[in-house]
Amino acid sequence: MTDTLEHLDTESVVNTAIDMPWSTIVWDDPVNLMTYVSYVFRSYFGYPREEAERLMLRVHQEGRAIVATGNREAMERHAEAMHGYGLQATVSKAAP
Amino acid sequence: MIVAGRDGGEGVRLVLETEEAMLLSELADQVDSVLLLGEVDDPALGRLLPNAYPDDVTAAQDFTRYTRDSLVDGKRQAAQQVRDATAVDDDTGLVQIELDQAEAWSWLTFLTDLRLILAERVGIVEEGSDESDETRDDYLRAAYEWAGFVQGSMLEVLDPIKG
Repeated sequence: MTDTLEHLDTESVVNTAIDMPWSTIVWDDPVNLMTYVSYVFRSYFGYPREEAERLMLRVHQEGRAIVATGNREAMERHAEAMHGYGLQATVSKAAP
Repeated sequence: MIVAGRDGGEGVRLVLETEEAMLLSELADQVDSVLLLGEVDDPALGRLLPNAYPDDVTAAQDFTRYTRDSLVDGKRQAAQQVRDATAVDDDTGLVQIELDQAEAWSWLTFLTDLRLILAERVGIVEEGSDESDETRDDYLRAAYEWAGFVQGSMLEVLDPIKG
C-alpha cells in the first residue's frame, strides 16, 4: 500500500514537472499602440500576421495573453526581449 | 513631419521641421537621462523595466540582476541614436533622416519608452491640483500624442496593412 502510494507520488511529481512548462505573459498597457504590439509579436516571435493580431487583441481585450510557453530560461529571454520593446511582460509557471 | 518609404529599400524616411528635430533631440536626451540617472524607485523606470515576477521576490531580484544592465544599455543606445540623428546646429530648414530596418526599430522602441515615461509623468501631475502644473501637463500630453503619431506613421510605412 505505502509503496504503491510513494511510487504514484514520485510519478506525479515527475509528470507535473514535465507537463507544467513556463510561460511568458504580456499584459495590457494603455500606452502602447495596437499596431506596435502586433508588429513586435510578428517580428520577434515570427508569428504570422493573423496569430500576432489574435494575441494582440487578447492582450487588449482580456488584459493579458500568454505569448509563449516552454522552459524557464527561454521564457525569461522572451520576457527580457518584451521589456526591451517596452511591453509589460511577466514569467510564470503555466497553470495546470 | 513627413514619414515615407525609402526609394527601393526597406526602412523609412523622415522629414522633420527643425523645431520637430530639436524637440525629438531634447526628448531623447531626457529619456537617456532617466535611464542613466533615474532613481530605483522612479515609477517611470518601473514602466521601462517591469517586474517579471510580481509574485516571487527572489526570482524578481535575480531577473533584474541578470537583465537590467543590458536592457538599460539597449534603451540608452536607442535614445542616443535618435538624439544624434535629430541634432541640428541651427535653423537650417528641413531635416531629412533615412532609417534602415534596424535603425527604425531603435526609433520605435525609443518612442515607446518616451511615451511610457511621459504617461507616468502626466499621471503623477494629474494627482495634484496645483494650477502651475497645468502648462507642464499640457506640454507633456502634447509630446505624448505627437510621439504616438510619429510611431503610428512609421508603422504604417514599415508594416502596411495588406488588402
